[in-house]
Amino acid sequence: MATPTPSEIKSASWWNYFFLYDGSKVKGEGDPTRAGICYFYPSKTLLDQQELLCGQLAGVVRCLWDLSGTPPTLIRLRKLKFAIRVDGDYLWALGCGVELSDVSCRQFLDQLIGFFHFYMGPVSLAYKSRSQEELSLQWDTFITQVLRGTSESHRIFNALWNLDHTKVEPLLLLKAALILQTCQRSPHVLAGCILYKGLIVNSQLPPSLTAKVLLYQTAPEDQRLPGAGAPQQEAGAALPPNVQITPVFLSEEEVASLHEFTVEQKTRLQESSSQYPPWDRSTPTRAEDAWTSATILEPTPHDGAWLNGRGADGHLLGHEQQEHAAAAGLCATACGPGSGSSSSSLQQELGFSQEELDLSEIHISEAQEAFSPAPALGDQEAVFTSHQAPTLPEDTAVCSCLDPSPLERLPESRGLERLTDLPISNGQTQVPGMDPLPRRSSRPAVLPPQDPGAEQYRDGSHEHRSALACTLYSGDSRGPSTPADRIGFAPSPAGPYAGLLPMNLYTHSVNGLVLSLLGEEPLLRDTAAIEEVYHSSLASLNGLEVHLKETLPRDEACPTSSTYSFVHYDRIQSMLTANLSLVAAPQDRRFLQAINLVHSDFAQLPTLYEMTVRNASTAVYACCNPAQETYFQQLTPTTRSSGFPNPQDCAFSLAGKAKRKLLKHGVNLL
Amino acid sequence: MKCVLVATEGAEVLFYWTDEEFEENLRLKFRQSENEEEELPALEDQLSTLLAPVIISSVTMLEKLSDTYTCFSTENGKHLYVLHLFGECLFIAINGDHSESEGDLRRKLCVLKYLFEVHFGLVTVDSQLIRKELRPPDLDQRARVWKHFQRLLGTYSHLREQEQSFAVEAVERLIHPQLCELSIETLERHVVQAVNSSPERGSEEALHAFLLVHCKLLAFYSSHGASTLRPADLLALILLVQDLHPTQDTTEEDDNDDSKHVQPKQLEKPSGLWPSPKVMSSSQDTDSISLPEEYFTPAPSPGEQSSGSILWLDGGTPPTDIPQMAEGTLRGLMPHSPEPSSPQRIFLDANVKENYCPLVPHTMYCLPLWPGINMVLLTKSSSTALALVLYQLLDGFSLLEKKLKEGQEPGSALRSQPFVGDLRQKMDKFIKNRVGQEIQSSWLEFKTKAFSRSEAGSSWELLQACGKLKRQLCTIYRLSFLATAPSRGGPHLPQHLQDQAQKLMKERLLDWKDFLLVKSRRNVTMVSYPLPGLVHFIYVDRTTGQMVAPSLSNSEKMSSELGKGPLAAFVKAKVWALVRLARRYLQKGCTTLLFQEGDFRCSYFLWFENDMGYKLQMIEVPVLSEDSVPIGVLGGDYYRKLLRYYSKSRPSEPVRCYELLTLHLSVIPTDLLVQQASQLARRLGEASRVTLP
Repeated sequence: MATPTPSEIKSASWWNYFFLYDGSKVKGEGDPTRAGICYFYPSKTLLDQQELLCGQLAGVVRCLWDLSGTPPTLIRLRKLKFAIRVDGDYLWALGCGVELSDVSCRQFLDQLIGFFHFYMGPVSLAYKSRSQEELSLQWDTFITQVLRGTSESHRIFNALWNLDHTKVEPLLLLKAALILQTCQRSPHVLAGCILYKGLIVNSQLPPSLTAKVLLYQTAPEDQRLPGAGAPQQEAGAALPPNVQITPVFLSEEEVASLHEFTVEQKTRLQESSSQYPPWDRSTPTRAEDAWTSATILEPTPHDGAWLNGRGADGHLLGHEQQEHAAAAGLCATACGPGSGSSSSSLQQELGFSQEELDLSEIHISEAQEAFSPAPALGDQEAVFTSHQAPTLPEDTAVCSCLDPSPLERLPESRGLERLTDLPISNGQTQVPGMDPLPRRSSRPAVLPPQDPGAEQYRDGSHEHRSALACTLYSGDSRGPSTPADRIGFAPSPAGPYAGLLPMNLYTHSVNGLVLSLLGEEPLLRDTAAIEEVYHSSLASLNGLEVHLKETLPRDEACPTSSTYSFVHYDRIQSMLTANLSLVAAPQDRRFLQAINLVHSDFAQLPTLYEMTVRNASTAVYACCNPAQETYFQQLTPTTRSSGFPNPQDCAFSLAGKAKRKLLKHGVNLL
Repeated sequence: MKCVLVATEGAEVLFYWTDEEFEENLRLKFRQSENEEEELPALEDQLSTLLAPVIISSVTMLEKLSDTYTCFSTENGKHLYVLHLFGECLFIAINGDHSESEGDLRRKLCVLKYLFEVHFGLVTVDSQLIRKELRPPDLDQRARVWKHFQRLLGTYSHLREQEQSFAVEAVERLIHPQLCELSIETLERHVVQAVNSSPERGSEEALHAFLLVHCKLLAFYSSHGASTLRPADLLALILLVQDLHPTQDTTEEDDNDDSKHVQPKQLEKPSGLWPSPKVMSSSQDTDSISLPEEYFTPAPSPGEQSSGSILWLDGGTPPTDIPQMAEGTLRGLMPHSPEPSSPQRIFLDANVKENYCPLVPHTMYCLPLWPGINMVLLTKSSSTALALVLYQLLDGFSLLEKKLKEGQEPGSALRSQPFVGDLRQKMDKFIKNRVGQEIQSSWLEFKTKAFSRSEAGSSWELLQACGKLKRQLCTIYRLSFLATAPSRGGPHLPQHLQDQAQKLMKERLLDWKDFLLVKSRRNVTMVSYPLPGLVHFIYVDRTTGQMVAPSLSNSEKMSSELGKGPLAAFVKAKVWALVRLARRYLQKGCTTLLFQEGDFRCSYFLWFENDMGYKLQMIEVPVLSEDSVPIGVLGGDYYRKLLRYYSKSRPSEPVRCYELLTLHLSVIPTDLLVQQASQLARRLGEASRVTLP
């Protein structure tokens, strides 16, 4: 069983270029191409070369788009191939060696973009709110992780690394599954996976999500992916030891896939000790909510905002929501008319500074879904403006409550009290259509540092928020606000990342063992729920870790004496079982080439399900069904045949051999 | 949605071909941007406008990155763009309907390139000259040239989709030993020998003669001195004949093809299956061959003003800036109304004086006997020796150019290379007879730069001089072979000699005519191969470039053993898919392939034998990149190279290469399948050794 290569992979021969190019920055004749380059890998590439590649590819993509009506997804050169993805003005390109199959090349690009979306949110917003350098570091990390995590066979299938199930006591796997199921009963938690030393022990997530979660785990400590906000580590008091919660973004499809297999929401709600409803529920029960104390905020400055003429539909907004929005104060809480969503975001809001930017995210996506009327925006705007006003003494107060941990500990009313003043002081000053930039620059310079480590980060997030405010603002100031207007600055609604929904990634590590759970947003502030998850799994995790450490062989030496090679790919879970050594031997090279070829055909021809290919030196048998693909090669040196059809030829008995030999690896081809 | 475009580096269109859908698509695009009342730009200009960014970008990439685009594809490969650079011409093929794979498109480009070579010979070596041939300044002439190649491309695409022989690119023989013998005898005595013994033949010498029934070869005869005809050339000739006299296609798929892009089908439409003959219009009749009543006048396409004869190529106009000596001669050679069956200049590979020489000028006479049955006569003129000299000189200069480009400094090291000395000697000899021509001064200039010790030129200067000489050599080649083409009034066999041969052959085959036409549809039947579970097979002898396969017809009128209509069409689709997949795996070095797809099991075998039929050991076949010339024969003979590659390891004995593709029902177990394949291969191998000369 192969393990991820431990050594740092700085570069790989098959991975040549990766760049993100923003076409909107290069519109006029005089605009230099370099202005559009958001990120380029390898960074050492000469700028001229970067400009050449970005400029030429972007031009060709545009031209072909015109001709075909759809943008190209693959551009092949003699020595290079580029997987291409276009999202609005943004263009991603991944340049690989030609020996990598087209499918794999595209998958790697998708994966990379997926990582970014998962941890950073939609690219357009990320680049508006954060510095290019900061995001470049993120890309570097993602690329390092992708390069680190590939052996050649994994590259072909873009497979995940998993624990060799034949080497583990099945009961342990069952135990892992049970832990996950137990966690699912906790409020907000949707699904998760358990990893051991970067290998999957058990996962309830679809493979693409598992890959993203896995990435977080395999990143070394120093380049941990902070996600859109930093891991909530500084909230030491709030989070149990070894637990981190990171805000992440999931696509609508991913969320849907999670909901597909979760335990009954209702049951869970009843069982749950949480008083907070899941985010997607409309909850009229806020009366019992501690948050209702926000009512003390009345009257809110929102009225002022409405007065600005953008609040024609203001009455649609529940009064309460306005209050909540106000209570949330600092943030873009105010959102669509769906009271549920508003309340949930409110809940999120109050908690955490790092959350803000994600929240703004949420609001956008929610606003898109529910055609929330303009007031929501106006509202937001007002809030933002007020919040950012540099002269405000309240600002400090606001910022201090950005930190989740003190807030958590604070009696609700106190926290809210602090919030109360700030919108009032500023709400009226806001003028529609005002250039948002000055405000941006005049944002509070320093946030009260609660945690020195988190400071820098917080600053970044703050900037994000303010930038977002600008975005919102300019989006709005274009004229009468329409839903389309608002969609304008969000990623294109038709694209696959139209709706990126915020979620929380809960990770709990016990030595090498990591429990990762994806939960709905309220999880972060729901101390009770976190505690519940933590305590329900802690003992089992400890036990599992000890067992795994004892059971797993120290060295994963390959059975070199084997007379055959095989690769078995689980299409559902995207997992590989193989007996190949990490460094491909010459025999393996042929095998891998054949796998590469046949795998593409299996993907393209749905009715193709068994194949034997042979060249002078080796023969490979391959078969597939909707759930799996298996490749088998006999290693015993065979006398060279002529190629003339010969029933005695061993190539034609491979099918039978594969069926027999692979049984002991848990692969059933019968 | 299909399109083929040939353009220069500056995005000047040298040739294009589009289907109606693509054209309509373009029209819509330009409608949007242009005002309604304004005239839409010409199609070539539309294409050039739209694709210019791609063309220019690909040139830029080549300059700056030494790499260039080979393929673009959109989501799920719906739209495919394949680019191939030949010299300085960029060939682009576009497909927007999934109907062609990247390999298909690239093959189409290579075939087009090959067709250019067959028509223009070594003139294709020089980008300036070929540009003038393909894009004559005169608009009518340009339209004619383009129409000719558009039509050829259409014929090729049609044959590739319909004929097994064109799917695997091998010649299919009509299997009837007795008739074959009879025909060969007639070809020998009454065609080749009769022509060559006639004093009226002038400098023309008949080399090859063959009979085609539709696409199938009935008999082939070569005169004693003639070198063998390459399979690729024979296939190209069949393609040309099919283009001139399209097979009456019984699979009338009444799809509304664009009338402007003449498909073979359309030409047949007015005539129905075997209609009563129409007499040709008088304009075409003037000096046509003796059987005008057998001709069908193609319905003039709506877009055309004149009759079908306009489709015929008459070559390029005199280029405006070729050396002065050409001016006078060329003016006199201006095209005169050519008509479909006038002899045609073509360039084929041959051995001249024991030397291999590519693209030797030949004259092709296509003599139709009856619809569907054609006789082809190939002659060469006495100027063949000149072709060899020109080729050797051009080859020498190309080699020199290559060395210079690789960084070799001009000087003694270069001079001492044997090929340079050889080139100098040959060139001096060649120049002697060219008194007063510009090439003499160019050569003198070159010699001072390359060979004198005192004022040796820089390598850049030498490259320039090289290029100039090459162009002048190409110009001479062009003048000698293209400008004097039979279609431009150059020497050719007198009409009555052609008529005589045609008449004799008709007499000989008269009783067999109907039989032949039916036989060509049911050449080989599966009944003769009683192997349970076997649905279809194709056996190819790659050494001779010939194939055997049961007839596969999905026409309504002619049913095969597979029945007719959908079932046959289904099997046909499977066979074509098998050919495609087998080629793909061979490209990646796999010589045996066995796979199960749906209810069928398909297999592919490639092997080598010696002359005695002994099976030779398999070797590692080279793994080719995606952008290499696709596996096939017409657009670059892969198998020839493969055989040469294999022979390196066995220089002592001749090597033969075979392929077998089979289609079985999936219930047949693997061992039985392989056993049947083995039996089949043995039987076909024996048969080919016995019957095929």
